[in-house]
Amino acid sequence: MRTTIEITVNGSSERLEIDTRQNLVGLLREQLGLTGTHVGCSTGNCGACTVVLDGVTVKSCSVLAADVDGREVTTIEALSSGADDLHPIQQAFVANQGLQCGFCTPGMVLSVSKLLEENPDPTADEVRHAIAGNLCRCTGYQLIVQSVLEAARIAREGAPAAA
Amino acid sequence: MISQEFDFHAPTTVAEALDLLAANADDGKALAGGMSLVPAMNLGIARPTTVISLNRLSELDYVREDGDVVRIGAMTRHARIVRDDVVSGRFPLLARAASVIGDVQVRNRGTIGGSIAHADPAADYLPVVLALGATFRVASAAGGRTIAAREFFQGVMATALAPDELLVEIELPLPPPHAGTAYLRLARLEGSFPLANAAAVVDGGPATVAVGGTTAAPFVLEVDDPEALDDVERAAREAAVDAFPDLAATAEYRRQMAGVYARRAVEAALGERKGG
Repeated sequence: MRTTIEITVNGSSERLEIDTRQNLVGLLREQLGLTGTHVGCSTGNCGACTVVLDGVTVKSCSVLAADVDGREVTTIEALSSGADDLHPIQQAFVANQGLQCGFCTPGMVLSVSKLLEENPDPTADEVRHAIAGNLCRCTGYQLIVQSVLEAARIAREGAPAAA
Repeated sequence: MISQEFDFHAPTTVAEALDLLAANADDGKALAGGMSLVPAMNLGIARPTTVISLNRLSELDYVREDGDVVRIGAMTRHARIVRDDVVSGRFPLLARAASVIGDVQVRNRGTIGGSIAHADPAADYLPVVLALGATFRVASAAGGRTIAAREFFQGVMATALAPDELLVEIELPLPPPHAGTAYLRLARLEGSFPLANAAAVVDGGPATVAVGGTTAAPFVLEVDDPEALDDVERAAREAAVDAFPDLAATAEYRRQMAGVYARRAVEAALGERKGG
């Protein structure tokens, strides 16, 4: 079945004809070319497809595209226009080697951005709970947590630490 | 992309949703938060040919005190239940159960009604609603009825709901003022379904303990003397005689854990009792 939806993605309104079998992640990647949102498990476990839907993080493999009619979606592309314009959280991940293969990173960064909005000074334990829904198969969690704590510190204090 | 073709409906009122369910009783599937259904559709395990999304039914997203009960709309998402002051004040064990479901993203999308109607035997809410003596309000195009939680869960993902019925509200009676309550779960990883979970309500006299995750449907025990913890443990272990095995645990392990978690939940609830 085909249907038409209107959504706002990263601030721009889109009117799209979709197949109802399409998931939100498929819509973003295949119809809008926003390939920063990754497809990992398609079962709501890995979090590589994390996006922000109406202000909260969701796993876009487990949301039907038809169900976001009238809603607002933010993807990783909203945080940065490219390598010269990284978001402070992304900069902290680079500086602390918070990524290895990088597959989980977009979802990880979006989860972290919502965490820091709600809790600007998280403990390491709070960081771990906040990213429990984002799996890193390189198992680089130690440096990811370090990156998040650094990003939080920079956001609070404004000045990045010397490299 | 999901392989199975299906018709999609997103009604904006409960009445409209009920008409759609009635018209599609053979092949219709109600979609709440989708945290179990959409992955199952992605994998081709669930192949509904009509999907009726409840995500526009904002009238089912609420937590309200109403005399001596609290009413929770079926489309209330876990994240709201975790943060709701009425829930954490009146039913800290329910807030606790909601807070350990899945992960942040799952709690942002999944709903209490979806979890209860899906009836995974290890779902976090199930022992809690059983121990609290919840009643479920269900509706259909033909009318409505109430079903006690204790009559509702019938097996693995099997409930008393008819195909044209929709769970619309969870009604929770307030526990006695000095009651102690607890919810505990055994899981190997954060975000996993528990291998066993238990909720207890203790109020001076007999206690209620409900155990999930070990048998096809969670079970409830009335305990005459909650201080007799060895008896609690034995009773729960015996009630779990038909515990199921899977890749995560043997049946015998689940039986043992049914006893251990029933005991620990009652013990924790005794410790939460106010004013002795």
